Formats: sequence, structure tokens, C-alpha cells
Amino acid sequence: MLDDFALGAFVVTWLAAGIRLAGPLLLAALGEIYAERSGVLNVGIEGTILLGALGAYLVTYATGSPWLGVFGAVAAGVISNLFLAWMYVTVMANQVVVGVVFNIFALGLASYFYRIVLGTSGNPELIPMIGSISIPGLSDLPILGPILFSQSALFYVSIAIVLIAEFVLLRTRFGLNVRAVGENPRAAANAGISVVGIRYICVLLSGAGAGAAGGYLVLAQIGLFRDTMVVGQGFIALAIVIFGRWRPIYAALAAFAFGATDALQLSLQLFSFDVAPQLLLSLPYVFTVIAVSGLIGKTAQPAALMEPYRDR
Amino acid sequence: MFNLFERRLAPLDSPSVVVTSTLGSILLALAIGAFLFIPFGANPLLAYVSLFESSLGSLRGFAMTLNRAAPLILVALGTCVAWRAGFGFLGFEGCMTIGAAAAAWFALVGVGEAGQGIILPALLFWPAMLAVAFAAGGVWAGSVGVLRTRYGGNEVLISLMMNYVAIFLVQYLVSGPMRAAGNLPQTDRFPTESWLPMIIPGTRAHAGILIAVGAAFLVWLLISRMRVGFELIVTGLSPLAARYSGIDVGRRYLLAAVGAGGLGALAGLVEVLGTQHRLMDGLSGGLGFIGIVVALLAKLNPLLIVPVAILYAALSVGADALQRSAGVPSSIIFILQSLIVLFVMASDFIRYWKPRLPRFGAATAREERTDA
Amino acid sequence: MLPAVELRGIVKRFANVLANDHASLSVLPGEVHALLGENGAGKSTLMQVLYGSYHADGGEILLDGSPVHFANQRAAIHAGIGMIHQDFMLVRPFTVAENVVLGLDGELQIYQEKRGVLDLAGASRRIEELSTHHGLQVDASARIEHLPVGVQQRVEILKLLYRNARILILDEPTAVLTPQETAKLLETLRSLAAEGRSIIIVTHKLHEIIEVADRVTIMRDGKTVATVAKEDTTEAELARLMVGRDVLLRVRKSPMKRGETLLTTRGLTVNDDRGNEAVRGIDLSVNAGEIVGIAGVDGNGQSQLVEALTGLRPVTGGQITMEGTDITGSTPSGRKDCGIAYVPADRRGVGSVGTLSIEDNSVLCNLRAFTGKFGLFRDRGRSRSHARDLVARFGVKAPDIRFPAGKLSGGNLQKMILGREIMQHPKLLIVEQPTRGLDVGAIEGVWAELLKVRDSGQGILLVSAELEEIRNLADRILVIFEGRFMGELRAEDADDETIGLMMAGRSGKTSGKTRTLTHV
Repeated sequence: MLDDFALGAFVVTWLAAGIRLAGPLLLAALGEIYAERSGVLNVGIEGTILLGALGAYLVTYATGSPWLGVFGAVAAGVISNLFLAWMYVTVMANQVVVGVVFNIFALGLASYFYRIVLGTSGNPELIPMIGSISIPGLSDLPILGPILFSQSALFYVSIAIVLIAEFVLLRTRFGLNVRAVGENPRAAANAGISVVGIRYICVLLSGAGAGAAGGYLVLAQIGLFRDTMVVGQGFIALAIVIFGRWRPIYAALAAFAFGATDALQLSLQLFSFDVAPQLLLSLPYVFTVIAVSGLIGKTAQPAALMEPYRDR
Repeated sequence: MFNLFERRLAPLDSPSVVVTSTLGSILLALAIGAFLFIPFGANPLLAYVSLFESSLGSLRGFAMTLNRAAPLILVALGTCVAWRAGFGFLGFEGCMTIGAAAAAWFALVGVGEAGQGIILPALLFWPAMLAVAFAAGGVWAGSVGVLRTRYGGNEVLISLMMNYVAIFLVQYLVSGPMRAAGNLPQTDRFPTESWLPMIIPGTRAHAGILIAVGAAFLVWLLISRMRVGFELIVTGLSPLAARYSGIDVGRRYLLAAVGAGGLGALAGLVEVLGTQHRLMDGLSGGLGFIGIVVALLAKLNPLLIVPVAILYAALSVGADALQRSAGVPSSIIFILQSLIVLFVMASDFIRYWKPRLPRFGAATAREERTDA
Repeated sequence: MLPAVELRGIVKRFANVLANDHASLSVLPGEVHALLGENGAGKSTLMQVLYGSYHADGGEILLDGSPVHFANQRAAIHAGIGMIHQDFMLVRPFTVAENVVLGLDGELQIYQEKRGVLDLAGASRRIEELSTHHGLQVDASARIEHLPVGVQQRVEILKLLYRNARILILDEPTAVLTPQETAKLLETLRSLAAEGRSIIIVTHKLHEIIEVADRVTIMRDGKTVATVAKEDTTEAELARLMVGRDVLLRVRKSPMKRGETLLTTRGLTVNDDRGNEAVRGIDLSVNAGEIVGIAGVDGNGQSQLVEALTGLRPVTGGQITMEGTDITGSTPSGRKDCGIAYVPADRRGVGSVGTLSIEDNSVLCNLRAFTGKFGLFRDRGRSRSHARDLVARFGVKAPDIRFPAGKLSGGNLQKMILGREIMQHPKLLIVEQPTRGLDVGAIEGVWAELLKVRDSGQGILLVSAELEEIRNLADRILVIFEGRFMGELRAEDADDETIGLMMAGRSGKTSGKTRTLTHV
């Protein structure tokens, strides 16, 4: 069996990887929380993550600055979601259908532009990444140091965003408006709130979050772009939102749980345990199904989720 | 935007407007798509011609188109059954995967050499095969139906999540219990008796299209001729009215879920027995979502689904050929296909809103007054 | 005196109706003004125009004499207008305080928040001040979903007061209230008017107007037909103006031929959607050949009772029998099989499917009768001829039987639904609010059909909030209050006052003593 040292090393590798993997999921989920809290189920975040990744890669490739790349990722997310918001809110098309089709569109667009920019050589160039920051003092702590305090700079930014998102949603007037629009849009409109305006803002926020998530993948995890790099992260983010009961802080915990499960199968392989990794990977989804199934009490789902609002 | 447009008193819903706006959307999508060919030095018009020439112009190409259309039709029919009943099922990727796994299992045990499995005569084998796959998908999707009707779960989100459970389950099967000797996570090649028979000599067209067209006829019969189908539609249009008129709404949802899952599973069967002949990871390849798109373009009409799916399949077969011959990335086709659907949906905007013409001489609106 | 608010020649057109046809209204400061009219007369639309929810197609709005234009509700709120809708505009999972401050910002702010951060504690203090000052007790930290409707209405009023609204619009404010709550509300409104605010009450209930209003404007068919001061008018005149003709509706009834007992319930209890007991031990019987009327203010358990009788809602206790057979646990279709038909109150949401044709709707409740052998396939030939019969026999005005049911007018749709149920030849017909929102001609038609059913020896259970309807049709009248029957009256003994008292929760048998009410 493992001795203490190996066990310690295993846990540290596992949890550090889990947190690294959780970063993009978390950012996408935070944006999605705002969209869903306002009553819009934005399934299009899967495609938005891919476009964000493309944006991050292209901007960084052109400028050499990964921080400008983050900006490019967010911009790509916001611009593409402006179209989604128009479809969801103004055209009032079926939100699920729009999202699903948009994901196919984004996949086509991303691989098309990728081919144009990089030609057919097939070997993407590495771009500069955002480095890790070791927080002086804290990073030397045993176990916790390497897990929590030697992460990419983007990770710390994400944590700050979680706290801000939680505060804004629950403690500010804007957050109150968002929640009211998602629970009872007619009541919100009658109180003088612009349902359309709030929903546009929230869909754009989810675009920003998903775009940033794509940037995170490129700039803090991989360092290059492939059109096959986003495989289900958007849908995992949807699961995280449900599992986190539509609250940023809980969603952060859920994201770490999902990241940790993902990392567990990697680490187990690394340490050659004999557990079927696929079954492990499916666990978060099984738990999500249970969370949203109504088996364990009422879900916290916003009452007007997926319902278009027709004013006048 | 709200100053430029105003809502129509009643939406334009005459058939001619719907047809015009749909055709207009398709043309617009093709026109925008034309620009995508230019960076690759292809003449857009010629590109479109060769796109359809390679997929519809030759028997060989047409056979490939049919093979690709078959699973699309089945998924689209599943969408039709579920969505007409108001059951927002999105789990076709999962159903295909599960159906493929069930078909693979049955192919491996159902017609093995003597001593290796149960041997069935061909006459019984195919009905049993279809039933096994349908049942597997039906149970898989039916569980979503149970969660919705018994516990009030949200079927959209549950079915989305179940896709991943199915995909990982099959990954596990092909890398564990069902894995063949060798480096790749996949099963043994199925015995040739279990391959879908070829239907056009000299081509690779298999019987999948027959299964799909047969299913389309049955779904049409269900929806427009049968009492149960009518009950499904009433349930989808107004669950309250359905309950009031004595329809057991829960059972109808369940029926829709099982039907949709079964049809999705048949799509998986067609893929695995017709094309791949062995079970491996990543089999659905997004077909479970594209099929939904096909169903929507066909306005959830089971008979319209067949031609729409064939056109859709023709586009993607043609794009593959174009990539091989001219180096134009086949991803263009994803853009084209999704643009068509998005534009068709967006064209509703014109049906509900009209441009606001400036009205001269009207009193200018004022919005002040804030004293209280 | 300059009117606080004036509407001049408002025109509002919807897809196929002219909801407001040059409607005008003027309300003075400190006045309680009633806007009276039948359902569908255009009262709510006019108020939605004033509140900025709808844009008028013509006409103008003046506040204190100067013209204004409201782009949306927000602009109207800014100008000091507040509106309480019939179905309350409250966010159910939110607290009272959250609901009250919802939508307040910028110039509407009373306490300055710091950079958009909520100050719910400050808001709660202000709400408490207001509620003590106006005698509207609420707990600012309670969640709306846990509050009874009477209290929810207080929250709605506090919302307007918190915004310091000068013009308060209340759309059918008493529809969901008990008479006691109504009295309390009217008192509150008077005291608010005394502070100089203008109150507009939108209603179709005459007697309440007479109690509280200073002046009354009557609407009919989208037009404002008259404005009268209360002193100068009578209930009869108001009724005539509202309906547009002199006589109130009267029907001739043949003597009752009472047959054997059909439906009975014993100690029936039923919960509402929120799990509160809505029906509290009801004993009821309906015989063949009679109309039993259930009178009561909306929301006193009558819908839950009907849903339980038709199998749409599970019962929590007691027993239902039909011709001696226990049907307490049977399904909606099981009830149909033993001869119970039902005309629901919600014609468009429950009784029909709007996008389906008249033909499809005409077989909706009896699908199995219109199938071929084995009941698998539909028999379209039979359903078509059935639909043609139905349209002809009940005078449904429609181009053809392929016409979508949702595009029928309310009266024609009701005829179709009623006809569909009658043509099943039920032993017992349950009808709920059968003439709500219909015009006079249609009401007469529906009443005549119901009496025909009775005279042919079928039983009818009639649930209605309209006293006139109950008194005209019913052979026996039961009055429901908070889920219990307050007593039973024979049609001959019933007068508006007795029924009214019973609807207010006083037992008919002990009419001398006033029961103390324990309403939360």
C-alpha cells in the first residue's frame, strides 16, 4: 500500500489539479447563474466557451499579451451572446433550440476561422500563458500551499468574481431586479423594471463568463487552440448551476467538486489504481440528475426559467 | 430597436408568409455561406453546385447521403413525438449511445458462432434486434419521463445531463466489459449477419433508410390518425385541457418519452450496425442535436422530416467531398446548417414586428413630469 | 377644481377587438372614483393605458391639467400613479420588504441607498411606519408565499404608499376578499382619499361602489357612457347604464320534477395547491331534475370542491358517491364514465385547446366514442358530423368546423363547450361560472340551455359568484364560505340580503347571532 508520503503527494496533486480544472467551469457557471436567474436558460454557453477560447488565442497570438487575450475572450463571448440575447428575448424563440443550434454554429465558426488563420499546417503555435502566482508565505504551507496558493493568476481573479457575483445577486438592487425578473416578470415590469433590459444584460453577462472560461482554458491550462478543445464544459457548467442551487458560492463549491472528480480519475491513473475512470466521471452527472429530478425536495429553479416575456 | 419596430396587432401567419420567410431565410443563409468559400479560392456558386453534385448527383454519393440521413430521420422523429407532447427532451445523444450499445450487445450474442451465444434465425433476428434497441432507449428516456411526472423534475435539464451518463457508460463498456483484445477501446467486429443489409447494389447504402422511412410512416400514423396520437398533441398544447378531458397526462408524457427514446436508440442501432460494425466511443457525434434541428425545420411534421433530413445529409456529405477535393473545411457546413435554422427562427421576428414608419405631423411624445 | 388625472378620448385596439373606443375619465384629488362595467367592457385596458402598460392608439392623458405620455409603467410610477392588479403583482419567494422596494431607484428612492446596495433594514423600518400610520399590519420580513391573500393586498397597498403614489388604481380589489376584509379595505381607501389622494376602483360589483365611491364612471363596449355623482343615482340606474338596457334578467322556470339522488359527498375535505385546507368537510347531494346552486365569494373553496368532484384534484378526506357507487378515488375519465360532465370556469385554458379546430374540440372529452374498432384509430367522419351537429344545435357562430376554437368569441366558445358536454347526455352536469365575461345575449342563451337540461331530468350543480344567476336558476342554494356551507336556502326563500350575510360567513340558521370570525 501507499505510505504516508505517497498518499500526501497523491492528495496534493489531485486537489491542485481539481482546482485548476474547476476554474473555467466556475466562470461559465457564474455567468449562467445570472442568465437563469433572469429567466433565460442559455444552453449556448458551450459554443460561447469555444468562441471565447478562439478569441483569447487570436488576440494573444496577434499581440503577444495573454492579458489582452482575456479581454479578447470576454469580447468574443459578449458579442456572440448579443445575438443570442436578441433571439431569446426579442424574437422569443425557444431558448433551448436557439442554444443547441448556436453551439453547432459556434463549432463551425471556430474551426473555420482556425483553419483560415493557421492554414492547413495543422500545428498550432503555442502562445504565452498567464503564469501561476505563488502567494508569498501561504504557498509554503504544507498541503494547502500547493493546492490553493500556487494557482494561475486567473484563478484568484475567478475567486474574487465569485464573491462579487454572490454579493451583487443577493445584496444589491440590480440583483434584486434580476431575481424578480426570473421569478415573476410581470410583477417586475409592473414595478417599473425593464424585463427586456435585465434579460439582455444577464445574457451578455453569461456570454462574458463563458467567453472568459474559454480564455481560461487557452491561457491558463493549454496554451494553444484546437477546435476540439471544448467538449461538454458548457453543459457541465449548466449542471454546476443546478447543483449550486443558482447561488454563486454554492456553484463555486460545485465547480470544485466537478473539477475534483475529473482530476481524481487523472490522478488515479497516474498512481495506477484500478477503478474505471468513466464511471467516476459520470458521477457528477448522476448527482446533477438527482439534484434536478425533484427526488430530494423542491428545486430552487427560478419560476420563469425558459418562459419568454411578452410585454404589452 | 424598439423604436424602429412595433409589434403587429396579429402575427402574419398565412401559409404564404411562412413559406416566403422560410425560403428567404434559407437563401440568406446560403448567400452568407457563399462568402465563406472565398478565402479558399473557391467560386461559391460552383462550390454549391459541386456540393450537391457529389451528394445527390451520383448513385454512390446518394447512397452515402441516405446512410447519413437515416439516423437523422430517426432522431428527428423522436423529437417530433416528444416535443409534440410537450416533453422537452434533449437526450438523443444519450439514447443513440444506449441504443447502439444494446444493438452491439445483441449483435455479439444474438448471432454468434455455435456455443458463443444465442443463435436466432434471420427471420426472428431483426425484429428482436429492433425491439431490444428500442426497449433500451425507451427505458433510458422513460426514466426521464418518470422523474418528470412523478417528481416534477425538469426534463430539459435531466435529459441533457443523462447524455453524459450514457456516453461515459458506453466508454466504460468498450474499455472494460465489452472490450476486444487490442489497443483501441472498442468491441469486436460484429458478425456480418448482424450488419444491416445493403439495399442498392454497387453502393454502400444500407437498410437504415428503410427503417427510418418505415418509422416516419408509423409516427405519421400515430400523430395524425390514432387516438393516442391526438391525446399526445392535446397534452402538448394544453396539459390542463388534457387533464380536464380525461387524458392521463402523466402516462402520455411517459409514452412520449419512451417513444422518443426508442426512436433515438434506433438511430444508434442504424449507425452501429450500418456504418461502424463495432461499438466504440464517440459514436453519436452530435447527430442527437442535429436531428432535433432537422425536426424543427420540418415543423415537427413526420413526413416532412424525411426530405429535410435527406437535404441536410446531402449538405454534409457534399461538404466532406469538397474538403477532400478542394481543401474547403467541412466545418462550413455546420455554419450553413445552423445559420439556416437560426434565420428561420429569426424570421418570426418579421411575422410579429413591423418596421415603424415615421409618422409626420403626429405630436411628439413627451416623457417628462417628475414632480411628486 | 383641476382634475388630478384626466383621460381624453382614449382609443386602444387589439388584434380583433376595439377595447377602448374614445373612452374618457376625469378624477379629482381626494376623490374615490369607481370605474364600473361588465367584464370585457374595457375597464382594465383603460387603466393599463393610464399605468403605461399599454400605449393608446389615440387620445391623451393629462395630469394636473398638463398632457403626459408614459412610455412604460416606470414613467407612470414616476408621475405618482400606482396600480394594484386583480392578480397581485408580487414575487412569491421574496419578502414583503423586498417586494415593496422592488423597482425603486434613482428619483424614486426614499432612503438613499449606497451605490445600489440594498438597505432592507431601512426599508422595513419605513414599511412599519407606514403600516402603523395607515392601519395596515404586515410583517416586513415575511415571505409573500406564506401570507394569506388579504395580507398580500395590504402589501400591494403599502407598495404604492411607499412610492407616495397620488393616484391609486385598484382593479377588482374585492374579488378575492371576504366581506370583512372588503369593509376594512374600503375604510382604508376612504382614509387615503382624505389625505388628498385620488382613488380609482375598477369593479363590476354595484353595491360596493355605492358604499365608497364619490362618483362613478360607467363603461360599456369600450366606451365611457356616463359619469354620475353617487348622490344623484341609484343602483338600478347604474345597472341599467352598465348593461345598456332596462330590465334585469329574469327567466321562467317550470316546476321542479325532482328525481333520485345522483351525487353525494360526505365530510369532504380538499387541499389547495399550497397544501392549505380549502374545502373543510362538505356534505352535498344533487338529485336528478334539479339545479343546486353554490354561491360564494371567489376563493372560498368552490373551485377546489369542483375539481375534487370531477377527479382533477385528490381529496384528503371524506367520500364522494355517484348513484350509490363510491367514486372518491376514480380518475377524471372514470367520472365521465359514470355520467358526470363538467363545464370549467376557464374556457380558454381548460375547457378548450385554442389552436385545435372546432371539430377536434368537439370530441375532446369523449374521444373513445369517436374511434373505429378497437379504439385505436380516430373516426374522422363521425367526428366531423358530430361537430356539425353541435354547431347547428347550439348556434355556435363560426365559418366552418375547421375554424380554430381559440378564435371564437367568449360566448360562442362557451356554447360549444356547453353543447359538447350536453351532447354526451350526462346524468349530472357540473358548471362553474358559466356566464363569466359573457354579454347579456349569450348569458340568456346559456341559462336557457341549462334549464333545458334540468327539465329533461338531468341534475346540475351550478357554481357561480353571480347572485343573479344563482337566484334565477337554482332550485336549492348552498352558500359556501371558507370551505364550509353556511346553510341551505330554497330558491323561494332566498333574497340578496340573506345570501349576502351567509356569504359573509354568518350561518343561515342562526341569523340573529353573529359568528366571530377568525380570519388571519
